[in-house]
Amino acid sequence: MAEERYLPTQRSGAFRPSPLPGRPEQTNLADILERVLDKGIVIAGDIQINLLDIELLTIKLRLLIASVERAKEMGINWWEGDTSLQSLQPENGDDRRLERENRELRERLDRLERQLGVGEEEPAAREDDGDEREPDAQREPEDAGERPARSAPTEEPDA
Amino acid sequence: MPDDLRRWAAERAPELLARAEAEAVEELKRALLDAATSAGRTQAVIDVRSPTAKAPAPRRSARRAPIRPERTSRKPAPAGDAVWTYCVLRAPGEIPDAPHGVHPDGGVEAVQHDSLVALVSRVPLAEFGEDALHRNLNDLEWLERVARAHEAVLDAALGAATIVPLPMCTIWESEEGVRRMLVSERAEIAEALDRLDGRQEWGVKLVVDPAALRTAARARSDEAAALEEELEARGGGGGGYMVRRRLERHLREVADALAEELAEDVHARLQDWATDAVTSPPQNRELSGHEGEMLLNGAYLVETDRVERMHELVAELANRHRDLGARLELTGPWPPYNFVQRSSAAVP
Repeated sequence: MAEERYLPTQRSGAFRPSPLPGRPEQTNLADILERVLDKGIVIAGDIQINLLDIELLTIKLRLLIASVERAKEMGINWWEGDTSLQSLQPENGDDRRLERENRELRERLDRLERQLGVGEEEPAAREDDGDEREPDAQREPEDAGERPARSAPTEEPDA
Repeated sequence: MPDDLRRWAAERAPELLARAEAEAVEELKRALLDAATSAGRTQAVIDVRSPTAKAPAPRRSARRAPIRPERTSRKPAPAGDAVWTYCVLRAPGEIPDAPHGVHPDGGVEAVQHDSLVALVSRVPLAEFGEDALHRNLNDLEWLERVARAHEAVLDAALGAATIVPLPMCTIWESEEGVRRMLVSERAEIAEALDRLDGRQEWGVKLVVDPAALRTAARARSDEAAALEEELEARGGGGGGYMVRRRLERHLREVADALAEELAEDVHARLQDWATDAVTSPPQNRELSGHEGEMLLNGAYLVETDRVERMHELVAELANRHRDLGARLELTGPWPPYNFVQRSSAAVP
Protein backbone atom coordinates (compact mmCIF):
# COMPACT_ATOMS: atom_id res chain seq x y z
CA MET A 1 0.00 0.00 0.00
CA ALA A 2 2.68 2.46 0.96
CA GLU A 3 5.41 1.43 -1.39
CA GLU A 4 3.68 2.15 -4.65
CA ARG A 5 3.43 5.76 -3.63
CA TYR A 6 7.14 6.13 -3.38
CA LEU A 7 8.49 7.00 -6.70
CA PRO A 8 11.57 5.10 -7.62
CA THR A 9 13.87 8.08 -7.68
CA GLN A 10 16.39 6.15 -9.73
CA ARG A 11 13.91 6.47 -12.55
CA SER A 12 14.28 10.19 -12.50
CA GLY A 13 16.76 10.11 -15.34
CA ALA A 14 13.99 8.68 -17.47
CA PHE A 15 11.69 11.58 -16.71
CA ARG A 16 8.95 11.69 -19.29
CA PRO A 17 7.29 14.96 -20.19
CA SER A 18 3.81 13.42 -20.01
CA PRO A 19 1.19 15.59 -18.30
CA LEU A 20 1.78 14.33 -14.78
CA PRO A 21 4.90 12.25 -14.86
CA GLY A 22 5.57 12.22 -11.15
CA ARG A 23 2.14 11.33 -9.95
CA PRO A 24 1.31 7.78 -9.06
CA GLU A 25 -2.08 6.50 -10.09
CA GLN A 26 -3.72 6.92 -6.75
CA THR A 27 -2.35 10.09 -5.24
CA ASN A 28 -1.80 10.12 -1.51
CA LEU A 29 -4.89 11.63 0.14
CA ALA A 30 -2.72 13.49 2.65
CA ASP A 31 -0.98 15.30 -0.20
CA ILE A 32 -4.31 16.37 -1.62
CA LEU A 33 -6.01 17.40 1.61
CA GLU A 34 -3.08 19.38 2.90
CA ARG A 35 -3.31 21.44 -0.26
CA VAL A 36 -6.99 21.78 -1.04
CA LEU A 37 -8.06 22.35 2.56
CA ASP A 38 -5.27 24.52 3.75
CA LYS A 39 -3.78 26.46 0.89
CA GLY A 40 -4.52 28.54 -2.16
CA ILE A 41 -5.90 32.04 -2.30
CA VAL A 42 -8.59 32.01 0.33
CA ILE A 43 -11.61 33.99 -0.78
CA ALA A 44 -14.79 34.05 1.24
CA GLY A 45 -17.46 32.79 -1.12
CA ASP A 46 -21.21 33.30 -0.79
CA ILE A 47 -21.68 30.03 1.01
CA GLN A 48 -20.23 30.65 4.42
CA ILE A 49 -19.30 27.65 6.41
CA ASN A 50 -20.55 28.26 9.90
CA LEU A 51 -17.98 27.20 12.40
CA LEU A 52 -20.12 27.04 15.47
CA ASP A 53 -22.86 24.63 14.70
CA ILE A 54 -21.21 21.38 13.81
CA GLU A 55 -22.17 17.97 15.04
CA LEU A 56 -19.48 15.94 16.65
CA LEU A 57 -19.88 13.07 14.30
CA THR A 58 -16.92 10.82 14.63
CA ILE A 59 -13.36 10.65 15.78
CA LYS A 60 -12.06 9.03 12.67
CA LEU A 61 -11.21 12.22 10.87
CA ARG A 62 -8.75 13.15 13.53
CA LEU A 63 -6.47 10.66 11.86
CA LEU A 64 -6.83 12.30 8.56
CA ILE A 65 -6.57 16.01 8.82
CA ALA A 66 -3.13 17.45 9.04
CA SER A 67 -4.32 20.98 8.50
CA VAL A 68 -5.96 21.64 11.78
CA GLU A 69 -6.32 25.37 11.42
CA ARG A 70 -8.02 25.22 8.08
CA ALA A 71 -10.19 22.35 9.18
CA LYS A 72 -11.39 24.48 12.08
CA GLU A 73 -12.14 27.36 9.77
CA MET A 74 -14.24 25.06 7.67
CA GLY A 75 -16.09 23.78 10.68
CA ILE A 76 -14.42 20.42 11.01
CA ASN A 77 -13.92 20.44 14.73
CA TRP A 78 -15.24 17.15 16.03
CA TRP A 79 -12.22 16.64 18.23
CA GLU A 80 -12.96 19.63 20.40
CA GLY A 81 -14.82 18.78 23.55
CA ASP A 82 -13.88 15.14 23.25
CA THR A 83 -11.67 14.87 26.28
CA SER A 84 -10.17 11.54 25.33
CA LEU A 85 -8.75 13.20 22.24
CA GLN A 86 -7.39 16.33 23.81
CA SER A 87 -3.88 15.02 23.89
CA LEU A 88 -3.98 14.65 20.13
CA GLN A 89 -4.41 18.31 19.58
CA PRO A 90 -1.15 19.72 18.35
CA GLU A 91 -1.05 22.57 20.81
CA ASN A 92 -2.45 21.14 23.91
CA GLY A 93 -0.75 23.19 26.57
CA ASP A 94 -2.11 21.29 29.54
CA ASP A 95 -0.93 17.95 28.35
CA ARG A 96 2.50 19.20 27.43
CA ARG A 97 2.77 20.96 30.74
CA LEU A 98 1.81 17.84 32.62
CA GLU A 99 4.37 15.80 30.76
CA ARG A 100 7.06 18.35 31.37
CA GLU A 101 6.22 18.58 35.04
CA ASN A 102 6.23 14.86 35.34
CA ARG A 103 9.61 14.63 33.69
CA GLU A 104 11.08 17.39 35.83
CA LEU A 105 9.80 15.78 38.99
CA ARG A 106 11.28 12.44 38.05
CA GLU A 107 14.60 14.06 37.30
CA ARG A 108 14.61 15.81 40.64
CA LEU A 109 13.77 12.57 42.34
CA ASP A 110 16.62 10.81 40.57
CA ARG A 111 19.00 13.55 41.61
CA LEU A 112 17.88 13.39 45.22
CA GLU A 113 18.28 9.66 45.32
CA ARG A 114 21.71 9.91 43.86
CA GLN A 115 22.76 12.58 46.34
CA LEU A 116 21.53 10.59 49.27
CA GLY A 117 22.86 7.33 47.94
CA VAL A 118 19.54 5.63 48.51
CA GLY A 119 18.77 4.96 44.88
CA GLU A 120 19.62 1.31 45.35
CA GLU A 121 16.87 0.73 47.87
CA GLU A 122 13.99 0.08 45.59
CA PRO A 123 15.36 -0.02 42.10
CA ALA A 124 14.16 -3.51 41.34
CA ALA A 125 10.53 -2.60 41.73
CA ARG A 126 10.88 0.61 39.78
CA GLU A 127 12.86 -1.03 37.08
CA ASP A 128 10.25 -3.67 36.45
CA ASP A 129 7.58 -1.10 36.64
CA GLY A 130 9.30 1.08 34.13
CA ASP A 131 9.91 -1.73 31.72
CA GLU A 132 6.34 -2.78 31.81
CA ARG A 133 5.02 0.59 30.95
CA GLU A 134 7.59 1.55 28.37
CA PRO A 135 8.74 -1.46 26.46
CA ASP A 136 10.97 -0.80 23.49
CA ALA A 137 8.28 -2.03 21.17
CA GLN A 138 6.20 0.98 21.99
CA ARG A 139 9.08 3.22 21.37
CA GLU A 140 8.48 3.30 17.64
CA PRO A 141 5.21 5.07 18.05
CA GLU A 142 2.58 4.57 15.42
CA ASP A 143 1.19 8.01 15.82
CA ALA A 144 4.14 10.04 14.73
CA GLY A 145 1.94 12.11 12.52
CA GLU A 146 0.34 13.80 15.44
CA ARG A 147 3.45 15.49 16.61
CA PRO A 148 6.42 17.14 15.04
CA ALA A 149 8.53 14.38 13.62
CA ARG A 150 11.70 15.43 15.27
CA SER A 151 10.60 15.81 18.83
CA ALA A 152 10.98 13.06 21.36
CA PRO A 153 7.94 10.82 21.75
CA THR A 154 5.51 12.78 23.83
CA GLU A 155 3.87 9.87 25.55
CA GLU A 156 7.05 8.85 27.07
CA PRO A 157 8.45 11.38 29.44
CA ASP A 158 11.97 10.76 30.55
CA ALA A 159 11.99 9.35 33.97
CA MET B 1 21.85 9.94 59.49
CA PRO B 2 18.32 9.48 60.88
CA ASP B 3 17.98 13.24 60.54
CA ASP B 4 19.07 13.03 56.97
CA LEU B 5 16.57 10.34 56.31
CA ARG B 6 13.77 12.27 57.92
CA ARG B 7 14.63 15.35 55.91
CA TRP B 8 14.84 13.30 52.79
CA ALA B 9 11.47 11.74 53.46
CA ALA B 10 9.90 15.12 54.13
CA GLU B 11 11.32 16.49 50.93
CA ARG B 12 10.32 13.53 48.96
CA ALA B 13 6.76 13.03 50.05
CA PRO B 14 5.17 15.87 48.06
CA GLU B 15 7.08 14.83 45.00
CA LEU B 16 5.99 11.27 45.28
CA LEU B 17 2.42 12.39 45.64
CA ALA B 18 2.66 14.66 42.65
CA ARG B 19 4.30 11.96 40.64
CA ALA B 20 1.71 9.39 41.57
CA GLU B 21 -1.04 11.79 40.67
CA ALA B 22 0.50 12.70 37.36
CA GLU B 23 1.05 9.06 36.52
CA ALA B 24 -2.50 8.16 37.37
CA VAL B 25 -3.80 10.92 35.12
CA GLU B 26 -1.54 9.77 32.34
CA GLU B 27 -2.56 6.17 32.67
CA LEU B 28 -6.17 7.15 32.52
CA LYS B 29 -5.58 9.29 29.46
CA ARG B 30 -3.71 6.55 27.73
CA ALA B 31 -6.46 4.06 28.42
CA LEU B 32 -9.09 6.44 27.09
CA LEU B 33 -6.99 7.20 24.09
CA ASP B 34 -6.39 3.54 23.32
CA ALA B 35 -10.07 2.85 23.50
CA ALA B 36 -10.88 5.80 21.31
CA THR B 37 -8.17 4.99 18.82
CA SER B 38 -9.07 1.37 18.39
CA ALA B 39 -12.70 2.33 17.98
CA GLY B 40 -11.81 4.82 15.30
CA ARG B 41 -9.06 3.07 13.45
CA THR B 42 -10.99 0.21 11.93
CA GLN B 43 -13.45 2.58 10.43
CA ALA B 44 -10.73 4.85 9.17
CA VAL B 45 -8.86 2.02 7.47
CA ILE B 46 -11.96 0.90 5.67
CA ASP B 47 -12.64 4.40 4.55
CA VAL B 48 -9.16 5.13 3.39
CA ARG B 49 -8.54 1.97 1.47
CA SER B 50 -11.86 1.61 -0.26
CA PRO B 51 -12.89 5.12 -1.04
CA THR B 52 -15.05 4.06 -3.94
CA ALA B 53 -18.62 2.85 -3.93
CA LYS B 54 -17.69 -0.52 -2.47
CA ALA B 55 -17.14 0.89 0.98
CA PRO B 56 -20.03 0.06 3.24
CA ALA B 57 -21.95 2.96 4.59
CA PRO B 58 -20.50 3.85 7.99
CA ARG B 59 -22.54 2.20 10.65
CA ARG B 60 -24.15 4.67 12.96
CA SER B 61 -23.76 2.28 15.82
CA ALA B 62 -20.01 2.14 15.39
CA ARG B 63 -19.67 5.82 15.99
CA ARG B 64 -19.30 7.49 19.27
CA ALA B 65 -22.43 9.16 20.33
CA PRO B 66 -22.40 12.81 19.45
CA ILE B 67 -21.77 14.89 22.51
CA ARG B 68 -24.15 17.55 21.39
CA PRO B 69 -27.70 16.48 20.79
CA GLU B 70 -28.97 16.30 17.22
CA ARG B 71 -30.42 19.55 16.14
CA THR B 72 -34.15 19.22 16.31
CA SER B 73 -35.15 21.86 13.83
CA ARG B 74 -33.03 21.24 10.81
CA LYS B 75 -34.02 23.50 7.99
CA PRO B 76 -35.19 21.74 4.87
CA ALA B 77 -32.41 21.42 2.31
CA PRO B 78 -32.52 24.37 -0.04
CA ALA B 79 -33.38 23.66 -3.64
CA GLY B 80 -31.37 24.93 -6.57
CA ASP B 81 -27.73 25.21 -7.48
CA ALA B 82 -24.62 27.05 -6.42
CA VAL B 83 -21.34 27.58 -8.24
CA TRP B 84 -18.19 25.82 -7.09
CA THR B 85 -14.88 27.40 -8.15
CA TYR B 86 -11.72 25.40 -8.86
CA CYS B 87 -9.13 27.88 -10.02
CA VAL B 88 -8.48 31.02 -12.00
CA LEU B 89 -6.47 31.33 -15.20
CA ARG B 90 -5.96 33.81 -18.01
CA ALA B 91 -8.65 34.22 -20.63
CA PRO B 92 -9.61 32.65 -22.94
CA GLY B 93 -8.86 29.63 -20.75
CA GLU B 94 -9.32 26.23 -22.24
CA ILE B 95 -11.85 24.03 -20.44
CA PRO B 96 -9.86 21.06 -19.26
CA ASP B 97 -10.65 17.54 -20.21
CA ALA B 98 -11.67 16.38 -16.74
CA PRO B 99 -13.96 13.38 -16.37
CA HIS B 100 -16.40 15.34 -14.21
CA GLY B 101 -16.50 18.00 -11.54
CA VAL B 102 -17.03 17.66 -7.82
CA HIS B 103 -20.62 16.60 -8.49
CA PRO B 104 -21.35 14.04 -11.20
CA ASP B 105 -24.11 16.16 -12.74
CA GLY B 106 -22.09 19.33 -13.15
CA GLY B 107 -19.41 19.51 -15.82
CA VAL B 108 -16.59 22.02 -15.75
CA GLU B 109 -17.44 25.42 -17.21
CA ALA B 110 -15.67 28.72 -17.61
CA VAL B 111 -16.80 32.07 -16.22
CA GLN B 112 -14.94 34.99 -17.71
CA HIS B 113 -14.48 38.58 -16.69
CA ASP B 114 -12.02 40.72 -18.59
CA SER B 115 -8.72 38.96 -18.76
CA LEU B 116 -9.45 36.24 -16.20
CA VAL B 117 -11.39 33.00 -16.30
CA ALA B 118 -12.63 30.95 -13.37
CA LEU B 119 -13.24 27.25 -13.86
CA VAL B 120 -16.49 26.32 -12.12
CA SER B 121 -19.14 23.62 -11.73
CA ARG B 122 -22.77 23.87 -10.77
CA VAL B 123 -23.43 22.01 -7.55
CA PRO B 124 -26.77 21.28 -5.85
CA LEU B 125 -27.39 23.24 -2.66
CA ALA B 126 -28.92 20.11 -1.17
CA GLU B 127 -25.39 18.74 -0.98
CA PHE B 128 -23.26 21.88 -1.00
CA GLY B 129 -25.38 24.35 0.95
CA GLU B 130 -24.14 25.48 4.33
CA ASP B 131 -25.95 22.93 6.44
CA ALA B 132 -25.17 20.09 4.09
CA LEU B 133 -21.51 21.05 4.00
CA HIS B 134 -21.30 20.88 7.77
CA ARG B 135 -22.37 17.29 7.65
CA ASN B 136 -20.48 16.32 4.53
CA LEU B 137 -17.15 17.76 5.54
CA ASN B 138 -17.24 15.45 8.53
CA ASP B 139 -17.89 12.46 6.32
CA LEU B 140 -14.54 11.15 5.24
CA GLU B 141 -15.89 9.33 2.21
CA TRP B 142 -17.52 12.49 0.93
CA LEU B 143 -14.51 14.62 1.76
CA GLU B 144 -12.14 12.31 -0.05
CA ARG B 145 -14.32 11.98 -3.14
CA VAL B 146 -14.85 15.72 -3.48
CA ALA B 147 -11.24 16.63 -2.67
CA ARG B 148 -9.98 14.20 -5.28
CA ALA B 149 -12.46 15.43 -7.88
CA HIS B 150 -11.51 19.05 -7.18
CA GLU B 151 -7.86 18.23 -7.52
CA ALA B 152 -8.42 16.20 -10.68
CA VAL B 153 -9.92 19.24 -12.41
CA LEU B 154 -6.91 21.31 -11.33
CA ASP B 155 -4.53 18.65 -12.61
CA ALA B 156 -6.25 18.67 -15.97
CA ALA B 157 -6.15 22.46 -16.15
CA LEU B 158 -2.52 22.50 -15.09
CA GLY B 159 -1.53 20.59 -18.21
CA ALA B 160 -2.70 23.45 -20.43
CA ALA B 161 -2.22 26.69 -18.53
CA THR B 162 -0.81 28.52 -15.55
CA ILE B 163 -3.44 28.40 -12.80
CA VAL B 164 -4.14 29.94 -9.42
CA PRO B 165 -5.83 27.22 -7.37
CA LEU B 166 -8.62 27.97 -4.89
CA PRO B 167 -9.27 25.93 -1.75
CA MET B 168 -12.09 23.46 -1.95
CA CYS B 169 -15.51 24.77 -0.89
CA THR B 170 -15.10 28.22 -2.39
CA ILE B 171 -18.74 28.44 -3.45
CA TRP B 172 -20.92 31.21 -4.89
CA GLU B 173 -24.66 31.63 -5.19
CA SER B 174 -24.41 32.45 -8.87
CA GLU B 175 -21.99 33.20 -11.66
CA GLU B 176 -22.42 36.82 -10.73
CA GLY B 177 -20.61 36.14 -7.47
CA VAL B 178 -17.75 34.53 -9.37
CA ARG B 179 -17.44 37.60 -11.59
CA ARG B 180 -17.39 39.88 -8.57
CA MET B 181 -14.58 37.79 -7.17
CA LEU B 182 -12.64 38.07 -10.44
CA VAL B 183 -12.92 41.84 -10.13
CA SER B 184 -12.09 42.17 -6.46
CA GLU B 185 -9.17 39.75 -6.50
CA ARG B 186 -7.85 40.70 -9.90
CA ALA B 187 -4.60 42.29 -8.81
CA GLU B 188 -3.63 39.47 -6.53
CA ILE B 189 -4.52 36.77 -9.05
CA ALA B 190 -2.68 38.52 -11.87
CA GLU B 191 0.41 38.86 -9.72
CA ALA B 192 0.27 35.17 -8.83
CA LEU B 193 -0.16 34.12 -12.47
CA ASP B 194 2.89 36.13 -13.50
CA ARG B 195 4.95 34.62 -10.74
CA LEU B 196 3.88 31.06 -11.55
CA ASP B 197 4.41 31.20 -15.31
CA GLY B 198 6.91 28.61 -16.51
CA ARG B 199 7.24 27.08 -13.06
CA GLN B 200 5.99 23.92 -11.39
CA GLU B 201 5.30 22.90 -7.82
CA TRP B 202 6.96 19.65 -6.77
CA GLY B 203 6.72 17.96 -3.41
CA VAL B 204 9.61 16.24 -1.66
CA LYS B 205 9.19 14.19 1.48
CA LEU B 206 11.99 12.76 3.51
CA VAL B 207 11.25 9.64 5.52
CA VAL B 208 13.75 7.80 7.72
CA ASP B 209 13.77 4.41 9.33
CA PRO B 210 14.02 5.13 13.09
CA ALA B 211 15.95 1.91 13.72
CA ALA B 212 18.59 2.82 11.15
CA LEU B 213 18.83 6.29 12.59
CA ARG B 214 19.35 4.88 16.06
CA THR B 215 22.02 2.53 14.83
CA ALA B 216 23.78 5.43 13.17
CA ALA B 217 23.50 7.47 16.36
CA ARG B 218 25.07 4.65 18.37
CA ALA B 219 27.89 4.27 15.89
CA ARG B 220 28.70 7.97 15.91
CA SER B 221 28.71 8.65 19.61
CA ASP B 222 31.68 7.99 21.89
CA GLU B 223 29.53 8.75 24.88
CA ALA B 224 27.12 6.00 23.91
CA ALA B 225 30.00 3.55 23.71
CA ALA B 226 31.25 4.63 27.14
CA LEU B 227 27.81 4.31 28.66
CA GLU B 228 27.38 0.88 27.17
CA GLU B 229 30.67 -0.22 28.66
CA GLU B 230 29.64 1.11 32.04
CA LEU B 231 26.34 -0.66 31.74
CA GLU B 232 28.05 -3.94 31.02
CA ALA B 233 30.40 -3.49 33.97
CA ARG B 234 27.55 -2.84 36.38
CA GLY B 235 25.34 -5.71 35.42
CA GLY B 236 21.68 -5.62 36.35
CA GLY B 237 21.65 -3.57 39.57
CA GLY B 238 19.96 -0.30 40.34
CA GLY B 239 22.93 1.72 39.15
CA GLY B 240 22.62 -0.08 35.86
CA TYR B 241 19.11 1.17 35.65
CA MET B 242 20.28 4.77 35.83
CA VAL B 243 22.98 4.20 33.26
CA ARG B 244 20.54 2.62 30.89
CA ARG B 245 18.27 5.60 31.27
CA ARG B 246 21.11 7.95 30.45
CA LEU B 247 22.08 5.85 27.45
CA GLU B 248 18.54 5.85 26.12
CA ARG B 249 18.22 9.58 26.52
CA HIS B 250 21.59 10.20 24.96
CA LEU B 251 20.83 8.02 21.95
CA ARG B 252 17.55 9.79 21.43
CA GLU B 253 19.27 13.16 21.51
CA VAL B 254 21.93 12.10 19.04
CA ALA B 255 19.33 10.55 16.74
CA ASP B 256 17.20 13.71 16.89
CA ALA B 257 20.20 15.84 16.04
CA LEU B 258 21.08 13.57 13.13
CA ALA B 259 17.52 13.75 11.86
CA GLU B 260 17.50 17.51 12.05
CA GLU B 261 20.80 17.80 10.25
CA LEU B 262 19.58 15.44 7.56
CA ALA B 263 16.33 17.32 6.98
CA GLU B 264 18.16 20.63 6.87
CA ASP B 265 20.71 19.34 4.38
CA VAL B 266 18.07 17.94 2.03
CA HIS B 267 15.89 21.03 2.25
CA ALA B 268 18.83 23.41 1.76
CA ARG B 269 20.04 21.61 -1.36
CA LEU B 270 16.57 21.59 -2.91
CA GLN B 271 15.95 25.17 -1.92
CA ASP B 272 19.07 26.19 -3.81
CA TRP B 273 17.58 24.66 -6.90
CA ALA B 274 14.12 26.05 -6.49
CA THR B 275 12.71 29.49 -7.11
CA ASP B 276 10.77 29.24 -3.88
CA ALA B 277 10.33 26.67 -1.14
CA VAL B 278 7.79 25.99 1.60
CA THR B 279 7.74 23.35 4.30
CA SER B 280 4.60 21.88 5.84
CA PRO B 281 4.16 19.81 9.00
CA PRO B 282 4.93 16.11 8.61
CA GLN B 283 1.91 14.20 7.42
CA ASN B 284 -0.26 11.94 9.45
CA ARG B 285 0.80 8.38 8.92
CA GLU B 286 -2.75 7.08 8.99
CA LEU B 287 -3.52 9.19 5.99
CA SER B 288 -0.33 9.10 4.00
CA GLY B 289 0.51 5.44 4.68
CA HIS B 290 4.22 6.15 4.92
CA GLU B 291 6.46 3.89 6.93
CA GLY B 292 9.13 5.36 9.15
CA GLU B 293 9.34 8.89 10.39
CA MET B 294 8.67 11.86 8.13
CA LEU B 295 11.34 14.49 8.70
CA LEU B 296 10.60 16.84 5.86
CA ASN B 297 7.47 17.66 3.93
CA GLY B 298 8.56 20.32 1.48
CA ALA B 299 7.14 21.95 -1.62
CA TYR B 300 9.40 23.53 -4.20
CA LEU B 301 8.60 25.89 -7.03
CA VAL B 302 10.93 24.98 -9.87
CA GLU B 303 11.54 26.42 -13.32
CA THR B 304 10.01 23.93 -15.73
CA ASP B 305 13.27 23.48 -17.63
CA ARG B 306 15.13 22.66 -14.40
CA VAL B 307 12.72 19.98 -13.26
CA GLU B 308 14.71 17.18 -14.80
CA ARG B 309 17.84 18.26 -12.99
CA MET B 310 15.87 18.41 -9.77
CA HIS B 311 14.90 14.77 -10.21
CA GLU B 312 18.56 13.90 -10.46
CA LEU B 313 19.34 15.92 -7.38
CA VAL B 314 16.68 14.08 -5.38
CA ALA B 315 18.10 10.74 -6.46
CA GLU B 316 21.57 11.91 -5.49
CA LEU B 317 20.42 13.05 -2.04
CA ALA B 318 18.60 9.78 -1.46
CA ASN B 319 21.79 7.92 -2.30
CA ARG B 320 23.95 10.03 -0.07
CA HIS B 321 21.80 9.46 2.99
CA ARG B 322 20.98 5.84 2.42
CA ASP B 323 22.95 4.73 5.49
CA LEU B 324 20.47 6.58 7.69
CA GLY B 325 17.61 4.66 6.19
CA ALA B 326 16.50 7.81 4.38
CA ARG B 327 14.01 7.71 1.55
CA LEU B 328 12.96 10.64 -0.58
CA GLU B 329 9.62 10.82 -2.26
CA LEU B 330 9.22 13.21 -5.15
CA THR B 331 5.74 14.06 -6.42
CA GLY B 332 4.46 16.55 -8.93
CA PRO B 333 3.78 18.66 -10.72
CA TRP B 334 1.08 19.89 -8.37
CA PRO B 335 -1.36 22.75 -8.68
CA PRO B 336 0.79 25.46 -7.10
CA TYR B 337 -1.16 25.59 -3.85
CA ASN B 338 1.93 26.25 -1.79
CA PHE B 339 2.96 29.29 -3.79
CA VAL B 340 -0.04 31.54 -3.86
CA GLN B 341 -0.66 33.97 -1.06
CA ARG B 342 -3.53 33.56 1.28
CA SER B 343 -5.71 36.59 0.93
CA SER B 344 -5.60 38.21 4.33
CA ALA B 345 -8.67 40.34 3.75
CA ALA B 346 -10.82 37.36 2.89
CA VAL B 347 -10.09 35.19 5.87
CA PRO B 348 -13.17 35.38 8.08
